[in-house]
Amino acid sequence: MATTTVFNKTEWDTLHKNGPFPLKKLYITRLEGKANMPSTVGRYNDAALEIQRLLKDSRDNNEGFRAYGSRWSMSSIAHQHERVHQNNLMNLDLNIFPQDVHPQSPFEAENLYFFECGNTIKEISQKLEEHGKSLKTSGASNGQTIAGCISTGVHGSALDVGAVQDYVVGLNLIIGPNPDDNIYLERHTHPGLTDAFAQKLNAKVIRNDGLFNAALVGLGSFGFVHGVLLEAENLFLLKRYVRKIDKQIALELARTLDFKNSLFKIGGEVDEEGKPLRPHHYKVFMNPYTNESEYVVEVIYKKPYKLPYPDPFTKIQKSIYRDLIYLLIKISESFPSSIPWFIKRLENTILPAVNEETIGTLYETFWDAAYQGPSFACSVGVDIRDSVQALNVISAMTKNEGPIPGIFAMRFVKQSNATLAFTKFPITCMLEIDGVLWSKSNKLMSLEEYGRRMIEVLQQNNISFTLHWGKNSDWRFPGLVQNMYGENAKTWKKYRSSLLSKDMAKVFSNDFINTIGLSEYQENSPPGLIASLL
Amino acid sequence: MKPCLKFYLKTVLIAALFFLMSSCYSVRIVSTMGSPMPPDEMERDDWYRDKMVVEIDTVIKAGITTEGISFRVLREGCETGKLFSVEYKNTFGGSLLYLISFGNKRKVKLKYVCMKPEN
Repeated sequence: MATTTVFNKTEWDTLHKNGPFPLKKLYITRLEGKANMPSTVGRYNDAALEIQRLLKDSRDNNEGFRAYGSRWSMSSIAHQHERVHQNNLMNLDLNIFPQDVHPQSPFEAENLYFFECGNTIKEISQKLEEHGKSLKTSGASNGQTIAGCISTGVHGSALDVGAVQDYVVGLNLIIGPNPDDNIYLERHTHPGLTDAFAQKLNAKVIRNDGLFNAALVGLGSFGFVHGVLLEAENLFLLKRYVRKIDKQIALELARTLDFKNSLFKIGGEVDEEGKPLRPHHYKVFMNPYTNESEYVVEVIYKKPYKLPYPDPFTKIQKSIYRDLIYLLIKISESFPSSIPWFIKRLENTILPAVNEETIGTLYETFWDAAYQGPSFACSVGVDIRDSVQALNVISAMTKNEGPIPGIFAMRFVKQSNATLAFTKFPITCMLEIDGVLWSKSNKLMSLEEYGRRMIEVLQQNNISFTLHWGKNSDWRFPGLVQNMYGENAKTWKKYRSSLLSKDMAKVFSNDFINTIGLSEYQENSPPGLIASLL
Repeated sequence: MKPCLKFYLKTVLIAALFFLMSSCYSVRIVSTMGSPMPPDEMERDDWYRDKMVVEIDTVIKAGITTEGISFRVLREGCETGKLFSVEYKNTFGGSLLYLISFGNKRKVKLKYVCMKPEN
């Protein structure tokens, strides 16, 4: 049997120390050993039963239950004040054979891979590489679990690919303790696996686009995501360039992504007519406290996988004394005007080295991001056409009302079909502010106040926006979710209420979704809303 | 206090700080493959915050003929037996101990992280 260790706790925190938050119990489930249970499917199903046992216990005790993977989210989305479940040791992968693929599936059998929730992006990438395959995109690093990534909308900056959830084909959800609470969910227009495969997992099949899209970015509240079916692709290489380019050119590209007609060109990365190629990835870095005429940009082009290529890892990596950073932050809290000076001094540590060039797989390019002390990140999504205006209003507010100890960046992500994806625009510019966590002082506003001001200035300038679910903001801002998602927020609640029983909807709720108003249960859902349509 | 004494004290303090900082450093070797074992509870505030780390901090008695010392990776804290990272820390005290004991006492400060089971 899979076993769960229970830790009685009083508090819990995220990886980046954005808490602490109160907690009663922490569960960690470990799979049965291979020696005792050689069948991988057997071990997977055994773990499902263990999760159902824990869910029953939570429901019977009228307590909430929230799964998390690597604690990478900086918002409180992964926190539940009663019970949390760490699932990063549930990292099985199930083989998909051609006979497991649905006859109407548009996917190639060789590209479908099934992973248990606790596999990290790093683990998945390594397993896929053994088959000559790769994920289509990832975040800027690799430590997040797959269930955590899709539940919160983790993204990179792959302009024409999307976020991590956008290559998910199927979801295995455990929505309660009963045998028919094990669901295998797919889109009816894009089925992946046969009913027979789902039966091997003891799961009931639902093929329904609306339900799938709602559950995809489920905020940890659409049941326990036990397994994920992904579409991978052939292994590829990423050629990465870091350049310092004219600010106006960098911003024009951010607004249009029209690389072909841009003055920005990298030798060798051109078409037959000598026009610049459209890159796979584009990222702009900005120090809001300097008025430089050039910005650092990171541009990545996709290449066929070909050996040999130079090792992309630098042999030696140095880090600065963490205590020095803490000292700078303490000084900043008393003397905020010193922040721009500190950021300028640390620029070389924060930003990638100009003129750096590397080539490697996705796994090698977006590698480990080691913990470097308490940190924050605020990230707003806007239509690329609004990206420059959004940057201007937020950086002006930051300079006038801050400063705050962070640096700006822009990444770009193709639209998602997920109902509550923050990458909701045709191409979303994710405008991010990352930095070192600080404490409010009488001279420096709090992080929550800063998040509030970001929302206010975007609203005042009529810029439609979203917020990254896993990052910091003033999540208590009135009408926030309605403002960002409108009808889609209602649709999400409707599907959630149809799939989950009322008592289980309560088990899968937490303070985060209560605060933003998404936990509201809607009685009398339309019959047939979540019926399997194929 | 006389200005020259103040300057002298400041210089001594800065020199002592520099000496202590530069004589206490660590070097870490990290695998580019595999994943580190996650901790049960995330309580540290350093590079190991999201890793289950085993720490060795001891003084080994060694004879004058002892050249090398090996540590074996035991099952506790390392169920896979495969290493993800190893860190060696050199301290001023450790170097001093080695010198004054003529190599008979060797301060060892090691941290290692094992790989997460692949299942």
